[in-house]
Amino acid sequence: MNPSQLVLLPILIPLTGGVVALLLRSRPRLQRFWSLGAMTGALAGSLALFAEVWERGAPVVCQVGGWPAPFGIALVGDGLSALFVVMTFIVMVTGVIYAMGSRDVVVRYPAFHPLFLSLAAGLAGAILTGDLFTMYVFAELLVISGTMLTAASDDPFGVEAAYKYYYMSLTASFFMLLAIGCLYAAYGTLNMADLARRIAADPSQPLLLPAVGLLTAVFMIKSAVFPFHFWQPDFHSAAPTAVSAMLSSVVVKFGVYGFFRMTTLLFVVHAPTIRSLLLVLGAAGILFGGLSAAGTRNLKRMLAYSTIAQVGFILVGIGWGTRMALAAAVVFAVNHSMIKAAMLMLAGAVVSRAPVKSAAYNVIDGIGRPIFGAKLLFFLGGMGLAGIPPTNGFIGKMLLFRSGAAEDRFGMLVIIGAAGTLTLVYTMRAFQRVFWTPASEEGLAKPVGDRLLAPALLIGLVVLLGLWAEPLVRCAGDAAQWMTTPMVYVQAVLGG
Amino acid sequence: MEFLTALSIGALFGIGIFQVLRRNLIRSAIGLILLTNAVNLFLLSAGAYDGFVPAYVNAPPGTASDALPQALILTAIVISMGATAFMFAVMIVISGRYRTSDADQVNGLRQ
Repeated sequence: MNPSQLVLLPILIPLTGGVVALLLRSRPRLQRFWSLGAMTGALAGSLALFAEVWERGAPVVCQVGGWPAPFGIALVGDGLSALFVVMTFIVMVTGVIYAMGSRDVVVRYPAFHPLFLSLAAGLAGAILTGDLFTMYVFAELLVISGTMLTAASDDPFGVEAAYKYYYMSLTASFFMLLAIGCLYAAYGTLNMADLARRIAADPSQPLLLPAVGLLTAVFMIKSAVFPFHFWQPDFHSAAPTAVSAMLSSVVVKFGVYGFFRMTTLLFVVHAPTIRSLLLVLGAAGILFGGLSAAGTRNLKRMLAYSTIAQVGFILVGIGWGTRMALAAAVVFAVNHSMIKAAMLMLAGAVVSRAPVKSAAYNVIDGIGRPIFGAKLLFFLGGMGLAGIPPTNGFIGKMLLFRSGAAEDRFGMLVIIGAAGTLTLVYTMRAFQRVFWTPASEEGLAKPVGDRLLAPALLIGLVVLLGLWAEPLVRCAGDAAQWMTTPMVYVQAVLGG
Repeated sequence: MEFLTALSIGALFGIGIFQVLRRNLIRSAIGLILLTNAVNLFLLSAGAYDGFVPAYVNAPPGTASDALPQALILTAIVISMGATAFMFAVMIVISGRYRTSDADQVNGLRQ
């Protein structure tokens, strides 16, 4: 196999895996193991791509169908996208493991695993593509599978949450098509590398500014940034646990990825404007998400609000835009995916033992007390979310602080420091209520619930990456260096 | 012809946005469909007036029309068709469960 075709693996393996899983619908046990195998295969494929990118020291580009870049579709694995795809599949594999040990009714539906695999394929495709229209198509695949998985939820309000999200996403994809039309009318191409070159050469086209604004709105809806966040807590808390762990950790990273690409590749000319917007909205999101998370009375909803705050931290990193800050944002994004997925799985494991299926604090008070494993894991995860050593949350936050201090952005540092303390407050309050205080009515909790293997794997990784952070930090540094020199990307795609 | 296209795109956008802001779920969904069609027409106009001979026939150089916007619209139509069908399917479940199509009364998650 041609090494440049490695880019195809993370997209094709889950996509074919999903189709085959659909054929296995009458044999649920086989289907589950097939799904796990396909997802692990995709993880192996993405790791191979990752190794190839770093060995070559240049982006790996696959021109689909052999058409050269501005005319055909290019799939590009550079430092950023390879790292994000590896992160996606690590979390997705644990999602399948969680679903296998879950007691939700949803995971026994024959369509669950095919949809889960197509969710993974959509996300990997949207990250790896080097063409805006292909990104739109993959984003749509992502949205539809995520919505279906939520609408099938055990939660009685799953359908309502799914509809709200779906309506918002359709509006977002309508904006994206509009932006694509504007860019095509102005520059006659949709290949991201070609667009980057042409926009840098002639930034005076009148349709460029609308396209920038529309794409900003699109990625803000996708990553639930502060003024566009309103559907997110509903959606992420009503989805089945295995799914909500994916949605709140890796799926929101698609919007983050879009901002990385927008500010460092596509619209370098308008990057200062976008960056100052991201700084303001990121800070607002940090404060709003932190305060809402501290105020809510539902464990899953608390974690969903916390995602708004954590995405705010990443946006601040992108907003500072120096090489160090970009590296910090990448590290933060990777770390947050693992921690948040593990925390939501632990929340789901506790909820599955509750007498009523609800994550409200007054229902699950003290339910987690007898489960020693979940107690320990939730404590470690909470420390990770708040950024306390020895977890990898500390590494991300420390890098962010250092990059801010290097730029003398002390006002923003005060805000994110205060919000970090708020994170500690709400995670430890949740820990105390769910895992420490005695249950109000003893004996109501069910003796068995979801298995803890998947969150244990993720928390193990969280601690490992906290103690031995050097490889991740170095990879993020290299990725940031490639991002700040967009010519590397453009030359790799267009050649010459 | 250009003027007529511009006028119809504008009209579709206007009606679509008006319908999206309605409180009735079905009306707002119809508004979204109108908006999608407005975008499709906009995409078409992004490349339609380059040439008037169909692409991939033996046209003299420089007169063939741009085939890419049409391919994009074809994909966008198929996607929006599937999306709309799925949206109405979810809406059927909602209207059965909540016994209303008023967006203000579909608020189980707020309580």
